Amino acid sequence: MKSLDPRVNRLPVVGKPGEISPKVPLDQLGTFEVFVQPKEGKPFQHEGIVHAPDVEMAFVLAKETFTRRFTCVSLYVCDTRNVYVSPLTEATSNAYDLISEATEKSTHKTSYEIYHLLKRGKQHVHVGTVQAGSPQEAMAEAKKVFKNDKTVYNIWAVKTSDIRFTTDEEKDLWLTLPEKKFRDASAYKGGDKLKEFLERHNA
Amino acid sequence: MNETALKELLYKIADDQLILGHRNSEWTGFGPLLEEDIAFSSMAQDKVGQSYALYQMLQTLSEKDPDTVAFMRNSDQFHNSILVELPNGEYDFSLIRHFLYDTAEAIRFEMLSESSYQPLADISKKIRAELRYHTLHANTWVKQLGSATEESISRLQRSLDLAMPYALGMFEESPYEKELISSKIFGGEKELKDRWVKKVETIIAQTQLNLPDWKTLQPVTGGRAGKHSEYLQPLLDEMSEVFKIDPTAEW
Amino acid sequence: MYGGGNTFEGIKTDSIAQEDPIRLAEFEARIERGEKIEPTDWMPALYRKQLIRMIEQHAHSEIIGALPEGTWITRAPGFKRKISLMAKVQDEVGHGQLLYSAAETLGKTREEMIDDLISGKSKYSNIFNYPAFTWADSCFISWLVDAGAIVNQLANAKGSYGPYCRALDRICAEESFHLKYGHHCVIYLATGTQKQRDMFQEAINRWWKPMMHFFGPSDKISAHTEVLMRWKVKMSSNDDMRNQFLDMYVPKIWELGFTIPDENLKKNTETGRWEYTEPDWEEFKRVINGDGPCNKERLEVRRIAEERGRWVRQALKKAQTQYTVPLA
Ligand SMILES: [Fe+2]
Ligand SMILES: [Fe+2]
Ligand SMILES: [Fe+2]
Repeated sequence: MKSLDPRVNRLPVVGKPGEISPKVPLDQLGTFEVFVQPKEGKPFQHEGIVHAPDVEMAFVLAKETFTRRFTCVSLYVCDTRNVYVSPLTEATSNAYDLISEATEKSTHKTSYEIYHLLKRGKQHVHVGTVQAGSPQEAMAEAKKVFKNDKTVYNIWAVKTSDIRFTTDEEKDLWLTLPEKKFRDASAYKGGDKLKEFLERHNA
Repeated sequence: MNETALKELLYKIADDQLILGHRNSEWTGFGPLLEEDIAFSSMAQDKVGQSYALYQMLQTLSEKDPDTVAFMRNSDQFHNSILVELPNGEYDFSLIRHFLYDTAEAIRFEMLSESSYQPLADISKKIRAELRYHTLHANTWVKQLGSATEESISRLQRSLDLAMPYALGMFEESPYEKELISSKIFGGEKELKDRWVKKVETIIAQTQLNLPDWKTLQPVTGGRAGKHSEYLQPLLDEMSEVFKIDPTAEW
Repeated sequence: MYGGGNTFEGIKTDSIAQEDPIRLAEFEARIERGEKIEPTDWMPALYRKQLIRMIEQHAHSEIIGALPEGTWITRAPGFKRKISLMAKVQDEVGHGQLLYSAAETLGKTREEMIDDLISGKSKYSNIFNYPAFTWADSCFISWLVDAGAIVNQLANAKGSYGPYCRALDRICAEESFHLKYGHHCVIYLATGTQKQRDMFQEAINRWWKPMMHFFGPSDKISAHTEVLMRWKVKMSSNDDMRNQFLDMYVPKIWELGFTIPDENLKKNTETGRWEYTEPDWEEFKRVINGDGPCNKERLEVRRIAEERGRWVRQALKKAQTQYTVPLA
């Protein structure tokens, strides 16, 4: 290939031009949900997904995919399959009203993280932790603890042990982020140069 | 303080960072997985950013400004190790180089964060934090691909064998090694190399890859003294193509 | 980045008659109230199909869009430009990642989409089929093509599909950096040496035609999209977006002392609309259907990247992980 891009000119010959071997389903990795904490003391918020083979790789890949630009202090990921999802409601109907009270109380409880969707089109935001024996029970517990006068359109519950958290030592992964000004619009003030140019030309 | 020794040290580190950052940026848009394309690009940016900071430090020691230093020198004036100027090859080679280089880089900046030259100590502390992601990334990937399929293992093994003599070239000693150590500016290449070997061994032991016998390896040196492979000058020509249209212009 | 326009050609609305009228009414009422649609909601087949098509094209435009600017990534002059261009092109890849994920929530996998891109089945923004001859071309793209994309993306961010809106909110925040960076580069060329000024003038001369094509065929000749407007899939007409772009950026180009290669370009003070020579829509169609200067190269580069990465993805694949449709 003869290109204007020297990088393209260095590409090796691979296969035949225009011929592809279909990728599906060979290449299809898992999906992992990514949550980011923008500031100390602020709740984690859902930001999107990455494709990855396991939760550890998902963490590594999510870090630059989702937190390379805006300051943040922590990030975690979990397998999409490990998120339990309530029914979705609209207008004034509250998703918690569709959750039935827990009938049986388990003796073996583990902790679950609970997330609310307060506005359609916005992100699911972490509200707290409950102890429960099953995802259903976690939703019912959440109803007791977190239901208030705000309409919640959708609830997620994730077993805490299914989450790959940022470890304490990894906290400084984001330390230098505020200094990477070149990723910031404010670093590109051309105003003075422009003003000087205009003055020269309009004179 | 021995300023010549200090400058020599700063140049070789900055040149390493710039050239490898440049090389790694060639992957942007061509990566094996979108998420990895992004991650690899970030680390390339970090490297170029770190080299910029070090050239700025050199400027305070009355060297030329960073753009002139980076874009106007010829290959024989560069002090990077040959490892970083080699072409990217396939992803296995780029990844193995990233692993071998960044492992050394992380230890180097850890050592430098105790430097008696305070500006260097200060900046090294910051860079060290940035590199925490680089080594997490490199270790995770090498562990994954180094124990996955027959193809990935043999590719990584081949690249490891190929890269290793060049990697040892990173530790080519400076003519000022003694002064740097005695003035506590830098703990020296020997200590760095010993710590690097241990770290590399720990990670590779968690894969199905084999390390070559250290004793039989012949390091490829010369880079620190400006003797480079045939790959560096074309890289520099390409990098400075626009800059040299008019080096006095502001771009 | 993405221009829109061609996306909705020849849509057939017959399928709407087959939809459950009660659910359809609920669906339309929700959009009417200004509430977003989320992935698990019921939706008309046509809505799903057109959204996949639109978001997918947008995603392809981001990763193909990384290539013309990528042409200059190893040659950016000076540290500032070098690092910023790397970050900018990286962002475009990131936008692709976000948009593929949004499209995935509608039931098409990323891998299927990439297959369709490489085989030529799906389209992407026409403008990336043109070559970036000089550094100044990359500056034109960073500033003005991104500016055009922002006009389109800001409009789409007010659309009805939740995951697409969320992705666009993130994307638009990053685009403000691209726009400033691009403008900064151009100001430096404009206020620099004669050679630098000439470089940018030539870039304008080369890129103006594709830039006018960017927002798609004029409303007079493009497909009727009332239902997509009502469903808040298409948020603004091609001509409106083009007009908005001209309004915001032509004065900025003129103020730098550059000329635009269209004698008829002027703002009609009575109508408040811009007048210009009607772009050659036949050429637009020809290029989008594969016959542009760089179509082959763009797809070939993407194909090689996918093929070279195959062993990596295969090695990553683990029996215990399984593809799942993303949640949001
Ligand atoms: Fe690094
Ligand atoms: Fe973009
Ligand atoms: Fe952009």
